[in-house]
Order: sequence, then structure tokens, then C-alpha cells
Amino acid sequence: MVSQFSGVLQLTDLDDFITPSQECVKPVKVEKKQGRSVAKIQIEDDGSYFQVKQDGGKQKLEKAKITLNDCLACSGCITSAESVLITQQSHEEIYRVLRNNKQAGVAEQKVVVVSVSPQSRASLAARYGLSSSEAGRRLTAFFKGLGVHHVFDTSFSRTFSLLESQREFVERFHRKEQDKQALPMLASACPGWICYAEKTHGEFILPYVSSTRSPQQMMGSLVKGFFAGQQGLNPQQIYHVTVMPCYDKKLEASRPDFYLEEADTREVDCVITSGEVVKMLEEEKVLLSDVEPAPLDTMFSSVCGDELLGHAGSGSGGYLHHVFTHAARQLFGEEVKELTYKTLKNKDFQEVTLERDGVVVLRFAATYGFRNIQNLVQKLKRGKSPYHFVEVMACPSGCLNGGGQVKPLPEQNNKELLQQVEDLYKEERPLVPEEDQHVAELYQSWLQSVGEERARELLHTQYHAVDKATNGLLVKW
Amino acid sequence: MNDTVALLQKFNAHPDSRCWYVAWNPKGTLLASCGGDRAIRIWGREGDSWECKTLLQDGHQRTVRKVAWSPCGNYLASASFDATTCIWKKKNDDFECLTVLEGHENEVKCVAWAPSGNLLATCSRDKSVWIWEVDEENENEYECVSVVNSHTQDVKHVVWHPTQELLASCSYDNNVCVYKEEDDDWECRATLEGHTSTVWGLTFDPSGQRLASCSDDCTVKIWKECQPEGGQEGTDVAWKCVCTLSGFHGRTVYDIAWCPLTGALATACGDDGVRVFKEDETADPDQPAFSLSAHVPKAHTQDVNCIAWHPKEAGLLVSCSDNGEIAVWNYQSGV
Repeated sequence: MVSQFSGVLQLTDLDDFITPSQECVKPVKVEKKQGRSVAKIQIEDDGSYFQVKQDGGKQKLEKAKITLNDCLACSGCITSAESVLITQQSHEEIYRVLRNNKQAGVAEQKVVVVSVSPQSRASLAARYGLSSSEAGRRLTAFFKGLGVHHVFDTSFSRTFSLLESQREFVERFHRKEQDKQALPMLASACPGWICYAEKTHGEFILPYVSSTRSPQQMMGSLVKGFFAGQQGLNPQQIYHVTVMPCYDKKLEASRPDFYLEEADTREVDCVITSGEVVKMLEEEKVLLSDVEPAPLDTMFSSVCGDELLGHAGSGSGGYLHHVFTHAARQLFGEEVKELTYKTLKNKDFQEVTLERDGVVVLRFAATYGFRNIQNLVQKLKRGKSPYHFVEVMACPSGCLNGGGQVKPLPEQNNKELLQQVEDLYKEERPLVPEEDQHVAELYQSWLQSVGEERARELLHTQYHAVDKATNGLLVKW
Repeated sequence: MNDTVALLQKFNAHPDSRCWYVAWNPKGTLLASCGGDRAIRIWGREGDSWECKTLLQDGHQRTVRKVAWSPCGNYLASASFDATTCIWKKKNDDFECLTVLEGHENEVKCVAWAPSGNLLATCSRDKSVWIWEVDEENENEYECVSVVNSHTQDVKHVVWHPTQELLASCSYDNNVCVYKEEDDDWECRATLEGHTSTVWGLTFDPSGQRLASCSDDCTVKIWKECQPEGGQEGTDVAWKCVCTLSGFHGRTVYDIAWCPLTGALATACGDDGVRVFKEDETADPDQPAFSLSAHVPKAHTQDVNCIAWHPKEAGLLVSCSDNGEIAVWNYQSGV
């Protein structure tokens, strides 16, 4: 089974074994039975295992299950076995929750929220010949038709990520003399990059990684925090789905840091990819272009009339663009109208600089793809990185080219499709994060009201270096 | 067969350990060997025998699997099971470690220099092939140019085309992959399927038109680049297997070398033997035929891991074995 995770994630102990990797060290908790240890194991016709005791009594044996969380918490391996990783996060799960809702009593029903990323929207728009906003309206109608209650847009939560990233950069810049690990600040919205950084470079690299949450997890805070409170719901009563351009986002949603202990629920319950939405449409035997559009939900979406708004900058969130323009203004009083990108070694490695009196005062880069990340980290390790900020993404060409995006049709060319998706994405009119009233209101009403510490928890996160298993017994030959 | 392989010298190169690989420098004045003792030894000729000129002991923390000389002969690269590749610069009789290339997830199985000397390829058990570039101004700055994941298993060997920037790799997944640079990235342009088990070694013929592979399936296959069906511009190249040498080797064929001077093919086998094959003159270029020219059944007392033709002296051949020995041979073709 070929893995669908990003190339960067795949190179960190990823296995292509169909079962959990031989390196799996998760201790399986087995209930010890009293008595003699002699027992027979019988396999039934349906494949289930029964332990036949000496007195003839049969007992069904539990299948050893490894969950996504187990995998993340462990350093043994990451297995690509679909059955293991995707069980808890697939469109099948969503159908199950929606079915339960129909049958369950009011007390057990869940409020189902779907947050769609702009990259997924653009990918679906390309497949069905729609504009991004048209795709957004039809997705709203499609999901609501299945029983979903609200459909939001992660461009909205991304505004929070951009604002926090801007502030974080300025704060790091101010302390760069005292703290040698303040800069370069490395963007953290990409979970493929984060998993790789935690596993391969650990303590060395983590201080440089931005603590700002990704748009997906900002939405997690918004939905299970603010929205839950506002609606008088327990976070557990909300089933939060996100639609993302890659599979790595499923791992991000499963991180223990994004698990609400008290409410015993995850901030994002399920991540499905753009491709999985196509599967859902195909199962419902409907073309997105044939769905009657519905008005967009405005609570957590950046909407203007019936158009969805986006952000300037790259198709991967525009972190470089926004942090640069903000830093230029805050630190050097420069209003940057347009950024000039210089392509370095390859098209996935670009640089932007700000000069003052012939001296470069800000040097930012965008490094996409494993080879560029490698070079960035190696340079950093040798103390030779000239950058103040780097937008790091695991996928070549960024999120618009994520592993979960809709695949080209047989007659389509990969490059052409990607260009189409990029064009559709850029068509969304950009919103300036600092000018977003709705977001400003939430900062005031919600984040300020919970106090600084709680606000920090809601907007930022932490990273954890993973110890490599050095047990010789686990080495594959 | 009136062709012979005569033993010139045999010596223990890596005490109590395997000798994994031997490589002649471009001038043919030095022989580099590496082994399970984590060491690299540089051997120079002293009259009729070979003396150890340099011992590089502390470069790696685990077995050194392969060594490769740069085309100019001034640098040596070593690939190790410790997941690193070391670049050494020759300074008279000594070698200085310039830089250590990190990045592979686990054991590096091979390293090879491109004919230009500017690019380096490495491959690993992590299933990837990496292409590195030397910085023009700074000889100890290497940057990763591409990481290609075309194999689904451990990649055993990488080899460059003798004159073009074309790379080939082979793997435990039974396939050979051929790579070319497209835009700013390296891509696998052809997957050569045919072997029924791990492919351990690869070698290009002197012109670079053909590629020979050797495998755990006990055969050697000769591949030739041909026009793809339809003959369109810019489509993936196609390589066809034009010859299979089977029934000659009793066990896994671990290494293969095509002599740049004579066109003879030498193999290193798990049955402890060294064999030399000659191409039949009369054969159709698209259907070459090779015959066994000479065979040393017990060249070593254990598996022969590597075989290498001298770059300047026709017929001079070197092999090394799991028993830590290096053997130097003289191949004479009766014809």
C-alpha cells in the first residue's frame, strides 16, 4: 500500500507494511486469565479468533488495535496501513456520526461542523469547473443536505494564525540579541514539517519553530471553545470535521496537545481530504456542479456577500507575505506594496529581502519540499542560515499540491491541473488580517475575556522532540 | 576457454572483518578499500606488492560499505551504515575529512560521483536516492539537489553514466531505476523490471549505451536504451533487457564491472567465485551474447563482495571478500 502522506513525513520511519510495522513497540494490554497457560486458538469462518479453554469454553480474543494516537506518542514507526491510521478519520466515520444523529435521542445528538480549507475548495472547484466561491456554496449545501449543521471556512481561522505569526515574529526579532534561538522563525502550519522536525532534529530545531497554531487547530479552538460556549454546548457534543489538502493534517488533529482532557474530546474530530470529498460525492451519485448552492455560513467564515475572501501571498497560507509586510512596517516603518520573490536553487526555494540604505535588514525565505528543508536545517545546524523567517512546507509547490488534493483525470496533465487550482485559489479577493473586524471582535470579546494564559493556550501550541528507539532488536535487516 | 585469470596477490585488508568494497583511483595508482571494521584503507603499489599507505579509522561509527573516488582523483567519498557519507580530501598521503553529509534515515549503501565531479549520488535502506551538489566556491559545502523515492525497498547501488548526467540505481525491490534531471528536479524516467530478486550491482558499458545488472536471482542482465513506442519527443525513455546470463552463477551475484578498456564483464559471486565474460563478436547489437571467458571457482574462501577493473592496465582486476581479503588478478584473453 503506497503511502499518501507527504514526502517529508514518509522519510521518517514510514513503513509500507500492511500491518503495523515490525518496529511497533506498543505494549498491548492483555487481560491475564487465571489458571493454566495452556489454551488453543481457534479461527472462526469469519476470521475472528477464539481461545478455547481446557474445559471447552470459548472466549473471543480482542484484536490488538493500534490507534493514531499510539503511533504519534511512540517513536517506533509510523505505519501507512490504512486500516490502522484511517479507521478513526475517514468519510465513513462522518457518515456513521450523521447516521447516529438521525437515530439518536436529542441528548446524544451531536452538532456537526465542517470547516473547509481554501486549498480544498480550489481543488474541488477545479474538478467540477466552478469558481472557488461557487464550490464553497455548493459544498455548504451538500454537507447540510447530509445532516451537517454548519459549514465554515478555515481562511477565517487562518486570519488568527497570520496575526499571531506577525506578532510572534516581531517579539522574536526584539529578543534576537539575547536569545540565539529566536531567529530564524520557522512557520509551523505544516504538520508534515513538524512531525519531521520533532522526530529527526528534535531539541535542536524546536526553539526556532513558531508556536502559533495552524488554521486547522485555530478553528479547533474556535469551534470547541468559543462556539461551544456560545451555544451552551459541551465540546464533546460537537463533531468537528475539517476538509484539508493532505493526509498529514489527520496526524495533526490527533496530537495529544489538541485533545481536550476535561471534555474527553479532540478539537478536530475528523480530517478528510479533498479527494475524500469527491468519494463522498460519488457515493451520493452527485456532481458538485449539480448541487443547488446554499448561502454561506458567516459565523466563522470570511464572507463578503456570497463570495469567500482569502489572503494575499502563497497558496500555503501566505505566512511569508504577511509576516514580512507586518515586520517591515513595525520594525522599519516601511509600507511594502508588493513583494519581489527571487527564485534560488529551485522553484520551491524563494527569497524576499528588505533593504535599507543598501543593507539587507530582513531576509525571508519560502522552502517547500524535503530537499529544501534538508538544506535549510543543515545550514542552520552549521550556523550558516541567513534568514529571519522561513515559510516551511513539506510538499513541493505547497499546500495546493498536497497529497490529498483531487487527482487529475486521465486526460489531465499534473502541471496544468496545479496551475488551474492555483488560479482558482488566487481569484478569492484578499482580506488584510489587521483589518478584519470580525476577528478583531473575537479577540476583544473572547480572547481577552479568558485571560492571557488561556488565550495563549487557544492560539499557540507546543512541540515535543521524539526519542529515537535505539533498541537493536527493533532494527530491520 | 583459453582465457585465464591468474592470481597476482592476495592480502588481508580488513583484519577479522569483511572487506566490502574496493575502488581504483582514476589514475590507477591507488586502491581504496573499506570494511566492517569501520575503516578505509588506501593501498599503493610497492614493486610487486601492495602496501597500506593510509588508514582512515575514525571517519565512521559503523561499517563503511562503499568508497568512491572523484573523477579528478583528489577526493574520496565513503558511504556508511552509520547513515552518513564522508567526503575526504587527499593531501599527499593523508586524507582530511572535509564534510559529513547527513540526511539519510538509516544505512547508506552506496555513493557515486557524476562524471562532471560536481554531483554526488547516495542511496540508502531508507529507499531513497539523494543527489548532492558541491558548491562552486566552497569545496566543503554540499547541498541536497533532489531526493527521489522511486524504489519501494532498500536501495543497494547507484552508478552514473560514464559521460552524461544520467543516474541508475538498483534495489531489494528487484528493479533498476534510471534518473534524469527535469526542470530543477531529478526524476525516475525508467523502471527496469525483470530480475526476480534483489538487484545488487550495476555497471555501464564503456560507451554508456548499455547497462549491466547483477542479482540475487543468480543472473546478469544487459539492458539497452531504446526508442519508446510511438517515438514521441519528450516521453519517458525505455530500456529493454537484451540479454540474460543465467546458469553461470551458483549463488547471488553481488557485483559486476564492465572493463572500460576491453569491454569484458567481471562478476563477484556469493559462491566465492570470480568470473569474466566476453561479448561474442558476431552477435546483433540489439541482441548481444556473452560467453564465460574465465572462471576462478574459489577466488576467496567466502562471498566475493566487489570486483573492479583497473582503469589503465587492461586485464588487471581486483576483488574483495567477506573474509577481509583483497585479491589482485591478471585476466588474459587468449584471442
